[in-house]
Amino acid sequence: MTAPQQAFAAQPDSFGLMLGRYAGLLALSALPLVLLWSNPYWVNILAYTYLFAALAAAWNIIGGFGGQFSLGHGVFFAIGAYAVARLYLDLGLTPWLAIFPAAALATVVALLVSWPTFRLRGPFFAIATMAINEACFALANYSDRVTGGPRGILIPFRAAFANMIFIERWKYALLMFAFMSIVVLITVALRRGRLGHYLLAVRADEDAARAAGIDVLKVKLQGMALSALLTGIGGGLFAMYVRVLDPPSLFSLPDIGVKFALISLIGGIGTIIGPVIGALLIVPLENFLRGALGGDIPGGHLIILGAVLVVASLFLKRGVVGAVLVITRRIRQRGRR
Amino acid sequence: MEPFLNILISGILLGGIYSLVSIGLNLIFGVVRIVNFAQGELVMLAMYATFFCFAKFGIGPYYAVFLVAPLMFVVGLAVQRLVLQPLQNEPMMQIFATFGLLILFENSVLAITRGEGYSLTGSYSSVVIDVFGLKASMTRVIVFIAASAIALGLMLFLSRTMAGKAIRAVIQDRQSARLMGINVERTYLLTFGLGSALAGVAGALLAPIYTLSPYIGGNFILPAFAVVVLGGLGSVPGAYLGGLAVGLMEGFAGYYVDPVLKQAIWFIIFVVVLVVRPSGLMGQAGAEEVGLREQT
Repeated sequence: MTAPQQAFAAQPDSFGLMLGRYAGLLALSALPLVLLWSNPYWVNILAYTYLFAALAAAWNIIGGFGGQFSLGHGVFFAIGAYAVARLYLDLGLTPWLAIFPAAALATVVALLVSWPTFRLRGPFFAIATMAINEACFALANYSDRVTGGPRGILIPFRAAFANMIFIERWKYALLMFAFMSIVVLITVALRRGRLGHYLLAVRADEDAARAAGIDVLKVKLQGMALSALLTGIGGGLFAMYVRVLDPPSLFSLPDIGVKFALISLIGGIGTIIGPVIGALLIVPLENFLRGALGGDIPGGHLIILGAVLVVASLFLKRGVVGAVLVITRRIRQRGRR
Repeated sequence: MEPFLNILISGILLGGIYSLVSIGLNLIFGVVRIVNFAQGELVMLAMYATFFCFAKFGIGPYYAVFLVAPLMFVVGLAVQRLVLQPLQNEPMMQIFATFGLLILFENSVLAITRGEGYSLTGSYSSVVIDVFGLKASMTRVIVFIAASAIALGLMLFLSRTMAGKAIRAVIQDRQSARLMGINVERTYLLTFGLGSALAGVAGALLAPIYTLSPYIGGNFILPAFAVVVLGGLGSVPGAYLGGLAVGLMEGFAGYYVDPVLKQAIWFIIFVVVLVVRPSGLMGQAGAEEVGLREQT
């Protein structure tokens, strides 16, 4: 887990240079959208890809930098989605504004449930957050009036800019791309700032961080708040994009909560651009597999996804970013010789 | 009074199911220090193996258990040796790996069975024991008896045999155990195999009770986690009594509140225990603080 850090530490770039580099990488990730502009099938997949890249990057703030392995981010995602849907349907509030109270609500809930669970470390924390996810799943099924119960909520299709509902799919893709860019740039600032360094210290050694005078609980809560805020916004965008919200799909562990972590793992946990790379690989692959296997083998794409998860945890612990860094370092060393 | 007693009985019998599933999970948890998210799926695999024995060869579940448990022991050995041993000091990757196994097992069974639900019905599945108007189904009573016997047997095994003492030494201190000449890796293998074999026993005995589905593991894993937190890390009697307690709480909450909210009940158990007594009722104090952090 130290390789990417060392690599960053070896290059004490200015903030501007770092920002420029990530802006360049983001521009590169927009390339498939430019190339496939006119193909609605692929533009649809790309919208998903960018959204999940943003969500994985949000998870990565507390899960990657902070080392707190949350499986409960589906809760904040679902809160964002339900809150935007309710504000839009009941009060007629435009989703552009509704995402802010929705994200605030997700943050408050995140702080309330994290305060007791942050006493726990490592896998105990993961179990507790998984339990939170399942408990909220049960509550969402139970409270008909807010969530529509097991039937879910259907947001009618009324295309308008103010409604955040578009006929052209590329507008969604562009929206998700913008959201992803914002999340990535926030991560860059975080990584450079005080909180980012505190989070890394907590991940490396909680006791040493405490001994060094860091208020560990406060740092974890701040990281979680930022992560949940962005996840809540992502949930709101998801709600207006798919316009069908039902508990089984919002609280699904393999499709939502664990997916954020999986995408980060594939790209590189605790790296800035890792979640984006992970999403660009995983989301289209999954869509392809679902199309290719879905009809013949029920759950076929998930078999492959599960195998990818096991193999990646064994052989690709630092993700694509880590592997690339190792290779470039080797080439550089050979060059010196 | 009678509904109360009936809920008491059904709660204890449900608790027996949870105990049976949790003991194996907690053994692995305490010794190998791995949270096996796929434990529920091991139970599920065993249920399908039991069904297969019955449908293909006509072997009833109470005989099949002697085939399924050793089979799951071997599966457990393979999982520990091939996947978890290389990840010994990387808790985060262990979570990924066992979760990957969960998704893999679940969907492989889904693909093979094509989502068809199976159920094992035999002459025994409808037998009801009736004592003074209190009814209990035979299959659940058998599970309760088996859970009690396994808890007792495992406690004897851990306290009386050399292998059991080695396991306890590893629970207490991995490094010192190694210095005393205990082969820690082999102890892990044995423990993971044992934990999986217990999942095999659970699967065989639960097969006549539930309709089989690839997703059934999820019904067991969360209450089992609640049991482990409640009972305490690595404690066999803790898992047994914790299982009964969770079963009772779920039974009463299901009757007096709403059965739909049982996940919320598990979660409340979780949070209350974590806040009041984080080491569980019978666990070593401080276990949750050290968490499952790497011990070299």
